[in-house]
Amino acid sequence: MRRSNAIAVGAAAASSLLLLFLVLPVVRLVAAAGPQGAARLWSDAELRQSLALTALTATAATLLGALGGAPLAWLLARRAFRGRALVAAVLDLPLLIPHPVAGIALLLLLGRGSAIGGSLLSLGLRIVGTPLGIIAAMLFVSAPLFVSGAREAFSRVDVRLEGVARTLGDSPWRAFRRVTLPLAARGLIASGVVTWARAVSEFGAIVILAYNPKVVSVLAYDRFTGFGLSEALPVAAALVVLSLIPLTALRALRMGEEPAVA
Amino acid sequence: MISAAALRARVGAFTLEDISFDVPRGAYGVVIGPTGSGKTTLLEVISGLLPQTGGRLTLNGRDATREPADARGVGLVYQLGFLFPHLSVEQNVMYGATDAAFANTIARRFGVDALYARSVRSLSGGERQLVALARALARRPELLLLDEPFSALDPSRRAAARREVRAIHREWGLTTLHVTHDFAEAGSLGDVAVLLDAGRVLQSGEPADVFRHPKTPYVAEFLGAENVFAGGVTIADGAAVFHSGPLAIHVAGAAAPGPCHAIIRAEEILVARVSPAPSSARNQFEGRVTEIASVGPLWRVTIDVDGAALVAALTTYSAGELSLRIGDTVFFTFKATAVHLC
Repeated sequence: MRRSNAIAVGAAAASSLLLLFLVLPVVRLVAAAGPQGAARLWSDAELRQSLALTALTATAATLLGALGGAPLAWLLARRAFRGRALVAAVLDLPLLIPHPVAGIALLLLLGRGSAIGGSLLSLGLRIVGTPLGIIAAMLFVSAPLFVSGAREAFSRVDVRLEGVARTLGDSPWRAFRRVTLPLAARGLIASGVVTWARAVSEFGAIVILAYNPKVVSVLAYDRFTGFGLSEALPVAAALVVLSLIPLTALRALRMGEEPAVA
Repeated sequence: MISAAALRARVGAFTLEDISFDVPRGAYGVVIGPTGSGKTTLLEVISGLLPQTGGRLTLNGRDATREPADARGVGLVYQLGFLFPHLSVEQNVMYGATDAAFANTIARRFGVDALYARSVRSLSGGERQLVALARALARRPELLLLDEPFSALDPSRRAAARREVRAIHREWGLTTLHVTHDFAEAGSLGDVAVLLDAGRVLQSGEPADVFRHPKTPYVAEFLGAENVFAGGVTIADGAAVFHSGPLAIHVAGAAAPGPCHAIIRAEEILVARVSPAPSSARNQFEGRVTEIASVGPLWRVTIDVDGAALVAALTTYSAGELSLRIGDTVFFTFKATAVHLC
């Protein structure tokens, strides 16, 4: 008994240290610059524009990730096909490589000197240095998170529920729409929230592909290098507050989570 | 009508091999088999949820081998119900129904209409099974596939649900295939019994025939026959006698000489305290009681005959009257017609 208590106390102490390390810098940042950041929202037009740009591009990247990611996640969850392990490994790649490297790779693929970038440019679509570049960078680093979460969400819906729906007269698509989708919805939304949060916090890939127009993470870096810590702090605090929105949404979603089998 | 001819299917490493049986139109088929024998897989193949890898499946006269699940007109009820958890009980019942009034009638027959307001998650296992039954029948399927649909019900509700399913089966002429591992249920419900083990059909036919005339000793033991002996038949003075160790058992009919197995159901053996008077029973033995065990309403009495053990089944009343004890000497008889050779 005494020994197990000692283990519990040791675990609690180690956990507390880690939690403090994670929370303290953020709390310190918000405490130091939160009110100032809020006040800046009125006076700093560039910060306001940057916040709007970040939210919009992150939303666009999330929607694009969901559009392509949901079918891929469904395939990975429901179908055994040749190369499935390879696809899963490819999806892990953007999560493993350093994000500035991801930015360089995207620059090579979508820059004006590349075949794709050149073709897009001829169609009037410039990627580098535009919101499209920001969306591309965000999509690259965050879409795998959506696929991973959505795959889990689909896997949790028992395939026999779809089977019963089929025997009750549903076509495969109708069974998906009436049974699978509603039951996976919570997980899909949670995956979207995580994807959005990851897109909002991205810096490394964006700074290579589209330094301008500035998203909040780039703006904070820009203010820090150009004007020092005091100017960067309110921007950084605003970014933290923006990141709290998906975190709160995620907690609310997970509170009502129940297994998708009855 | 369900007709499977050399049906094959694969799920991971498990395979259904050469599944052949017929359940005539309007008949009640029962699939019996141990856990893991492929009973549920068979239902999923018939309902079109799992693809066939070979063979031919005919449902109500049409080739359903390549027919999608939603076009087969099959109602499937899983043991666990698999109700849609995001829908109410009423929405579950109405899910595939085309006529709400008819669906409500079915719900009433199973007492499920009283649960309409309840959340699916709050239902007991038995209630889920009843809702799943109502949901499958509310669509008025052409064929009904049941996977242990009464297993979670208490005895009185099980009997009522069984009666209701049987009544609907008769009223609609609904061809039904019912998976169970309960032999009593199989015997009482079925017109056709299909015995499945390790993904293969061991035997199929009328339940009474399958139970009384198992094709192999394995089937006999699987169906609960205690007295299965290996030996051989000889013909002496025109009469067939089966020999196994110390036992010489008279058998009826034109048995062919040679090695075989003899099966005697425990219920066919009569036990007495004193040597019985001459009777039509051709087989009479004397032995010693070595074991007495109560199994539900019956007593299983094991009798040793010069090293060979036979089991007799007695009702509790008979066992009480005989006051048998281990070590007692008893006499037992059975007719030659009670011996099944295979």
